[in-house]
Amino acid sequence: MNNEIPIWRIKYIPKTLDEVCGREKIKERLKNIIKQGNFPHLLFVGSEGIGKATLASLFSKEFLGIFYDANFKLIYANVPLTEEERQLARSEAYVSKSKIGSIAGRRITTPAFIKVKVKPFVQLKVLGDTPFKILIVKNFETLGSNQQGFRRLMEIYGSNCRMILITTKISGVIDPIVSRCQLFLISQVDLNSFKELMNKIAENESLEIEDGSIEILYKVSNGKISRAIDLLQLSSISGKKITKNMLYEVAQKFQNDLVGSLLLMTLRGDFPKARELSRNIISNYKYNPHELFNLLLNELNKLPLSKFARIQLINLIADADFRALDGIDNDIQISALLSKICLFSEHLS
Amino acid sequence: MAKKVKSVWVEEYRPKSIREMALPTAKVSGHKVDLAEDLTKFVKNFFKEMKKINAENRIIRVHNRTASEKERKEEVKIAPENAAVLLEGPPGIGKTSIVFALANDLNMEVIETNASDTRTRDALENKLRETVKSRGIMDFVTQSKEKLILIDEVDGIYGTKDRGAVPTILDLIQNTQFPIIMCSNEYKQSLQPLYNKVRKFEVYPLSDEEVIKIAHNILKKESITTLKRSDLDLIIKKNNGDLRGVINDIQGIAQGSTEVDNKDLIFTLHRDTTEEIFALIRDLFQNVSTLREARDLTDKSDVDYNFLYKWVNENLISFIKINKEIANAYDNLSLADEVFGRIRRNQYWALLPYFYDLFAGGTSLAQSRKTSGFRRVVFPRYVVGGAFSLTNAERSLIEKINKTYDISQIEAIQDFIPFLKILCSTSRRQLKNVSDWLDLDAKEKKLLK
Repeated sequence: MNNEIPIWRIKYIPKTLDEVCGREKIKERLKNIIKQGNFPHLLFVGSEGIGKATLASLFSKEFLGIFYDANFKLIYANVPLTEEERQLARSEAYVSKSKIGSIAGRRITTPAFIKVKVKPFVQLKVLGDTPFKILIVKNFETLGSNQQGFRRLMEIYGSNCRMILITTKISGVIDPIVSRCQLFLISQVDLNSFKELMNKIAENESLEIEDGSIEILYKVSNGKISRAIDLLQLSSISGKKITKNMLYEVAQKFQNDLVGSLLLMTLRGDFPKARELSRNIISNYKYNPHELFNLLLNELNKLPLSKFARIQLINLIADADFRALDGIDNDIQISALLSKICLFSEHLS
Repeated sequence: MAKKVKSVWVEEYRPKSIREMALPTAKVSGHKVDLAEDLTKFVKNFFKEMKKINAENRIIRVHNRTASEKERKEEVKIAPENAAVLLEGPPGIGKTSIVFALANDLNMEVIETNASDTRTRDALENKLRETVKSRGIMDFVTQSKEKLILIDEVDGIYGTKDRGAVPTILDLIQNTQFPIIMCSNEYKQSLQPLYNKVRKFEVYPLSDEEVIKIAHNILKKESITTLKRSDLDLIIKKNNGDLRGVINDIQGIAQGSTEVDNKDLIFTLHRDTTEEIFALIRDLFQNVSTLREARDLTDKSDVDYNFLYKWVNENLISFIKINKEIANAYDNLSLADEVFGRIRRNQYWALLPYFYDLFAGGTSLAQSRKTSGFRRVVFPRYVVGGAFSLTNAERSLIEKINKTYDISQIEAIQDFIPFLKILCSTSRRQLKNVSDWLDLDAKEKKLLK
């Protein structure tokens, strides 16, 4: 076929709720909701990349039926607004006419994100014959203090629009929001359903899979199905037979261990090179310093270090992260951390 | 002997009429415009509009005098884009001159404020408020000139939402009785509210030929013959379109003794800030030995400190080699950055002394032994990232992916595109498959290699 999608993770993306791999109990609950035709605001919690958003959007698709296109929206909370959107939000700010009280003569602004992305959708009436619209907000915890703006929105426009909030860290969601939602804890896919899916793909692509390699695939991909499919595709390029060794090899290539090698390089005490590498990482992956520091922290936990050394390094990272909160120049803050780790490495050996 | 000169040439040779001056090219949102014509039109149009609005307001005021509270109407105000324009361009290319020449042509009086001395809201208000809002009583009697308000160096104004002068300027624009022209050197985030309201002319430097013509003209009038053609070329090249700089340099040379080699003079006269920063960074790391010296160095230089500490960051490691000292220097530098962030965000200008001492003294004095000899100083590198920003190619690639696969920009950059890169690096066929499927152009393809 000529117009076949060359990327397997897109090719095998589930089209209906039934096709979603595993998670039978949750699927059943969602199907019950569809039967009843009503649900409160939902909060989906689960670790990264396990298919929360896929579940939520397929659920909304089946719930809304043919009115799906007009009444559904998916927004990403962590994608920053464009310059035009920010201008739009700013232009709608107004100066309070009130003469007394704390808001007298103040500029009234609502958070730009809510003004531009959320409000226009939730305020619009339902189109067609469905009880309400559905709004999905992904990475909800990254909204930070903007979450406060959702409290009243969820109540005022709740009858018009139900929200499905998706988050990886429930501790990042403020309590008033949690109390307004029904909680869905979404687990990783279990091994049996995972095997089923992989075997199906293998059959479709006429691959031969060595015994025991699916277990390895499951382990390496960390429950992320899309990552597992990526790995399968990469290892299929060299041959139709998939072996354990091949999977390990591919996984190594695939893993984004740039941050790991950055940490090792700094622990070797080579500051100029480490800085060069950190700049490369930042410009390729567009991490903000906070994200980079978090990744460093993760890598740190993988290294065989004494508990004293570990806590010292954590101390350094925390201090740098704290300074970066107020600082302006990210490069300075990252370089400062790297230089301190370089110095620390001298005491280590 | 060179001719003795009375005044500064820049003032003396400021063009009297807009028609006789060499006009720099200007663009409004990307389209070339004739600056002289547009500005004249703007001023004339302003007075026409103002007449209309004043007449309307007179009727409203009469109406309000008798009407009850509810029926009162608000007075009409002039639209901001009719009341003010902004000229933006590098220093010394004739922005201020244009305004003065224009005023001269139209027989108007210029009321000038430059933001370098009136930086705060109060100062600005005191200086302009009354002029702007009302016409003096005597104005009607004496039939004095109309006024043109010039707010120079707008980008030098510290602007935050609450305390800064930008709201004041916006307010002035709303209530003005006279046309306002603003000048600014560069784009500033804090001026965004202004950009939204008024028309912005981007003014570009004059071409070298134009500058040469003007320089020759001046030299002829001052009857100076000692300046060699090659020296003049050098001056013009070094000034890079800055006409004011060229005129100042010529004057400097003409006033100095002609016996000296002109070339040396040109270099010493020259105000090239990059050269200055290079020297300053070397001084800071190689010659400074006390905190006071470090402070003097940063105080005396007129390099923007905003810039300077980025230069320190970039060049620190070419002077300091020992890890312990690097870590110390960076400890101070990162604290300086934090302090500066707080200053900028909360307007705690009282913290500024710490910032100076930390970024200059704190880094320079972290070294136990000074390096000697020549060290390469480089430009601070602009590191993309932090504030999540995409290049055009990245953006269009993600848009194309989004047609078939719903994924956020961040997931695409951090998860999906790295996978595509690995996939495409395995064989040429894969790259072709992917690019055919997404219908990529050459630039986007390059991202996947």
